Amino acid sequence: MASSSRTDSSLPPQPNLRITIIAADGLYKRDVFRFPDPFAVATLNGEQTKTTSVIKRTLNPYWNESFDLRASEDSILAVQIFDQKKFKKKDQGFLGVINVRVGDVIEFSSAQDDQMLTRDLKKSTDNLVVHGKLIINLSTNLEAPPRSNLAPPNGANPRRPSMSTPQGSTSAGFPASPSHTSQPQGVIMANGNVSTQPTPGHAPAAGSQGHAAPATAGSQAPRPTGTFSSFEDAQGRLPAGWERREDNLGRTYYVDHNTRSTSWTRPTAGGSTETQRNERDANTQVERQRHQNRTLPEDRTGANSPSNMPPAATAPQQQPAPAAASGSAANAATMMATGATTAGTGELPPLWEQRHTPEGRPYFVDHNTRTTTWVDPRRQQYIRMYGGQNANNTIQQQPVSQLGPLPSGWEMRLTNTARVYFVDHNTKTTTWDDPRLPSSLDQNVPQYKRDFRRKLIYFRSQPALRILSGQCHVKVRRSHIFEDSYAEIMRQSATDLKKRLMIKFDGEDGLDYGGLSREFFFLLSHEMFNPFYCLFEYSAHDNYTLQINPHSGINPEHLNYFKFIGRVVGLAIFHRRFLDAFFVGALYKMMLHKPVALSDMEGVDADFHRSLQWMLDNPIEGVLEQTFSTEDERFGVTNVEDLKPGGRDIDVTDENKKEYVDLMVKWRIQKRIDDQFQAFITGFHELIPAELVNVFDERELELLIGGIAEIDVEDWKKHTDYRGYTESDEVIKFFWQTIRSWDGEQKSRLLQFATGTSRIPVNGFKDLQGSDGPRRFTIEKQGEVNNLPKSHTCFNRLDLPAYKSLEQLQQKLTMAVEETMGFGQE
Amino acid sequence: MASSQKRITKEYAEVTANPPAGIHVSLVDESNVHNWNVILDGPEGSPYAGGKFTLLLVLPSDYPFKPPKINFKTRIWHPNVTFDEHGSMCIGILKPEAWKPSSKILSVLTATQNLLVEPVPDDAVESSAAEKFKNDRPAFDKEAREYTKKYAK
Repeated sequence: MASSSRTDSSLPPQPNLRITIIAADGLYKRDVFRFPDPFAVATLNGEQTKTTSVIKRTLNPYWNESFDLRASEDSILAVQIFDQKKFKKKDQGFLGVINVRVGDVIEFSSAQDDQMLTRDLKKSTDNLVVHGKLIINLSTNLEAPPRSNLAPPNGANPRRPSMSTPQGSTSAGFPASPSHTSQPQGVIMANGNVSTQPTPGHAPAAGSQGHAAPATAGSQAPRPTGTFSSFEDAQGRLPAGWERREDNLGRTYYVDHNTRSTSWTRPTAGGSTETQRNERDANTQVERQRHQNRTLPEDRTGANSPSNMPPAATAPQQQPAPAAASGSAANAATMMATGATTAGTGELPPLWEQRHTPEGRPYFVDHNTRTTTWVDPRRQQYIRMYGGQNANNTIQQQPVSQLGPLPSGWEMRLTNTARVYFVDHNTKTTTWDDPRLPSSLDQNVPQYKRDFRRKLIYFRSQPALRILSGQCHVKVRRSHIFEDSYAEIMRQSATDLKKRLMIKFDGEDGLDYGGLSREFFFLLSHEMFNPFYCLFEYSAHDNYTLQINPHSGINPEHLNYFKFIGRVVGLAIFHRRFLDAFFVGALYKMMLHKPVALSDMEGVDADFHRSLQWMLDNPIEGVLEQTFSTEDERFGVTNVEDLKPGGRDIDVTDENKKEYVDLMVKWRIQKRIDDQFQAFITGFHELIPAELVNVFDERELELLIGGIAEIDVEDWKKHTDYRGYTESDEVIKFFWQTIRSWDGEQKSRLLQFATGTSRIPVNGFKDLQGSDGPRRFTIEKQGEVNNLPKSHTCFNRLDLPAYKSLEQLQQKLTMAVEETMGFGQE
Repeated sequence: MASSQKRITKEYAEVTANPPAGIHVSLVDESNVHNWNVILDGPEGSPYAGGKFTLLLVLPSDYPFKPPKINFKTRIWHPNVTFDEHGSMCIGILKPEAWKPSSKILSVLTATQNLLVEPVPDDAVESSAAEKFKNDRPAFDKEAREYTKKYAK
C-alpha cells in the first residue's frame, strides 16, 4: 500500500481536495459463478482513509461518492477496490489499485480546478490478475454540494441546496403545536414572530426585518382574508403541513410542507391528506401522460432520428462503399451488418447488380439510375407516408421503388433496427424524411413561410448537436431529484453531457432507452421551476408561465442554480427530450438575443403594461412627473436606478416618452434579472450554440423546449365563449373547421397567438387562466374583413372579423398566427 | 430624484398646502415619501361621525404605474373594509384595471372619505356588515356608531 512519511503538519488545516470515486468499469471476475461486491478505499499518504459503500454483485460498480481531504501537491492518493465478500480472506478480495500524485493532476492554486481521471487498475505486490478501469474526479472546488448520498465521514453535514422559501417574511414559523413538529425544518424561515397574514401594503414598507421581503407592490386589492392565520381560512383549518401564502401579486397559493410543493388550489378542508395527495398524484399522472405525448414534427415517423449513426460519408454517390473505407465506414459496416445487409432472396430486379466492398460488404448497383445503395432491392422496403392530403393522417405504405431515384447526392441507409433514413451528402445531414416525398406541412398551407420541421432537421443535423460516443451517467433519487441532478450535471463537463444520456433512478431497475430520461426531465422540470425555490416565479399574466424571479438572490447560490437550469434546458434539447415548463414570451426572445418590446410586457406584468400603454396614448406633461430613472426595491432597500446615464435628472416629456417606455421595458424585463439570465444562458450555450438555436423564432423555441402537445379541439371548442358571435355562425364553423385541419404545431401556434403560451392547463381548456383569474378562450366579433385577426393574450381572446369564406378565414388566420406577434402589431 | 419620488413629493406638497376638509396627512418617516399617515375625520351624517380614523397609505416604488395601497389602522365596521387589524379596503379607483397613471392620491383620499358616507354593499369584503347595511339600515348605523365610539374616539 502506498504510504509516505508526511505528517499532518505540512497539510492545510481544512480539507482542500474533493475526491469523487465515480465508478469502475470491467472489473476482473475472479469467481465463475458469482460477481464481486465491490467497494473502494481511498487513502491519502497512507493516513486519511475513506471508504465507499458496497455495490452488490457487479463488475461495473457505480459509487459516485465524494470525500473531502487535506492534501498537498506531493500527496499520493491510492484508491483500491476490494470485494466485500472476500475482504476477510487472505487477499482481501483485491480487485485493483490506482496511485496518483495529486500535484500531477490538479492545480491547488485554482479554486475551480476539476479533473476527471480514468485509470487502468493495476496489480498489487501479490500479482493477482486485475482488470478494468477506475473513474475518479478530483476537484479543488469544495463549495459545490458533494455528491455523496451518505453523510461524509468527516462529520460535515451533507449540504442540501440552500434554497430559501419565497416571501420569507410571510412565512412565519409554524404554531408550536405538536402536530407540526415533524415538518421539514429546512423550508421554514427562522422567523420567530407569530404568523400573521401579510397585507400586501405592509411587506415592502416594513422592510426593517433583516431578511428578504420579496413581496413587492402587489397589484390586487387586499383580500378579506386578514383575520386568519396562514394555516386557516374562511373554510377552516388547512390540512396539517399546509400553509396559505400570497405571492407578490396578491394571489393566494398553498404550500404543502410535507412534499415541498405548491398549489393554486386549496387543499379540501376535512379531506384527508391521503386524498389530497392522491388527487395531486392523479394530476401529475395526467401531466406526465401529456408530457410524454409531446412531439416535434421531425419525430412524426416514430422515435428520434438515428443518433448513433456514423458521420455522413463524403463519398460520391457512385461508389459508396469503397470511397467510404475509412474509420467511419468500418463503423457503419458494423452497424449495417446487424440488419441492413441481410441478403434478400430471389433474383435481383432487372439491371441491378450486387457488388462487394474490399471489406466484403455487399452493396447494390442500380444501372437503371446509375446509383448505388447498401439496401438490397429484394428486401421489401416500404416508405411510410403521411398524407398532407389525408386529413385523418393515416399512414400509407408504398414500395420504395415507385418513388423513383433519390435526388442527386442523397443516399438511403438503414439503422441497425432496419429503419430507413436518408443521408444528404450535399449538406452532410441525415433525416428520416424521404426527400422524394412532399412535406405534409408544405401541402397544408401554401403560404406557410416558416418551416419548423425543416429548421428542426437542419438544427439537429449540425455536428455540434451530435451525440458523442460514450455514455453520460446520471443517477438520482426521485425524492431529491433537484439536488442530486444539480450535483450530477454540474460535476460533468459539457462534453460528457453530450454523450448518450443514461438516467438511473436510485433503487430502481431499468435501463434508459428513453423512458427514464423522459421521466427525469418531467420530474426535474416540476422541481427546479417550482416557485417554492424562489428561482422562478409565475408571471402576472397567468398562473403557469414562468419567469426568472428578480429576487432570487435570497438564495446566495442562485447564480449556480441558474447556470444549472440553463444546462438542463440545453441538455433536454440536445438529447431530444422535453421539459414540462413554459416561460413568458420575453424569456424565449432573450434566449434568442432578440430585443424585448412593450408587447412583451403584457405577458410579464399586465398592469404595468397597461400603464405604459396609457402613457404612450395620452399627454403626460405635468401629469406623470417622471424622470429617466426607476426605483428598485430589493429586500426592503430601495435604490434609484438610472434608465440611462444621468437619467434621474432628465424629465420625461411627450417628446421623449417613447424612449422612456423602451428603456423601462428593457429594465423591467431584462436588466433586473441580468445576472440570473447571464448565468442561465451560459449554461444553456454550453450545450446549444447560440448560432444554431437562432434559426428558430421565439415560439418555435417554446415548442423546441416544451414539445407540441396533442390538443383536443373538442375540449377547446366546448370551453370557448363568443362575443358578438354564436356557435352556429358561419365564420365560427369555418374557424373550427380550420383548426381541425391543422397539425399539432399550427394549433400550438394559434394557442400561443391567442393565449401567450402553448401550454394547456392540466384539466383542459376549462381551466384556462387569464391575468385576472380563470378566462375561457373567447372569440370576439371585431375588425374589418380586410384585416387580420388580433389577439389579447391577457384575456385569452381572439378578435375575429366576420370573414366571408373558409378560404379567406384560413388565409387571414394563418397569416396572423404566422406573421404577427399578437396585440399591438398589425 | 427618482421618478416616483418627484411625483409623490409634488402630490404631497399639493395635499398639505391645500388639505381637503376632514383629511390630514403626514409622513410616517420624514425621509421616506412612500408611506403616508392619513387621519380621516368621520364624515358628518355618517355613523362614523365624531371618529378619527388613522390610515396608512403606501405608494409602491413603481407608482404611479401601479396604484397606491391604503389600509385602515383604526378598526372600522364597514362593508368595504375588513374588520380586523389589517383594515384592508376595496375601492374601485385602486383596482388595477381602473387605475391610470394620471390618477392622484388626492382622489384616492376623497374616494375613501366618500366610501364612509356611501358604502358599496355589492362590492363588499365584510359580508355581515353588507347584509345589515342592505336589510336593516338603522341596526347597521347603530352598530357602526358603537364601533366608532369604541375604536375611533
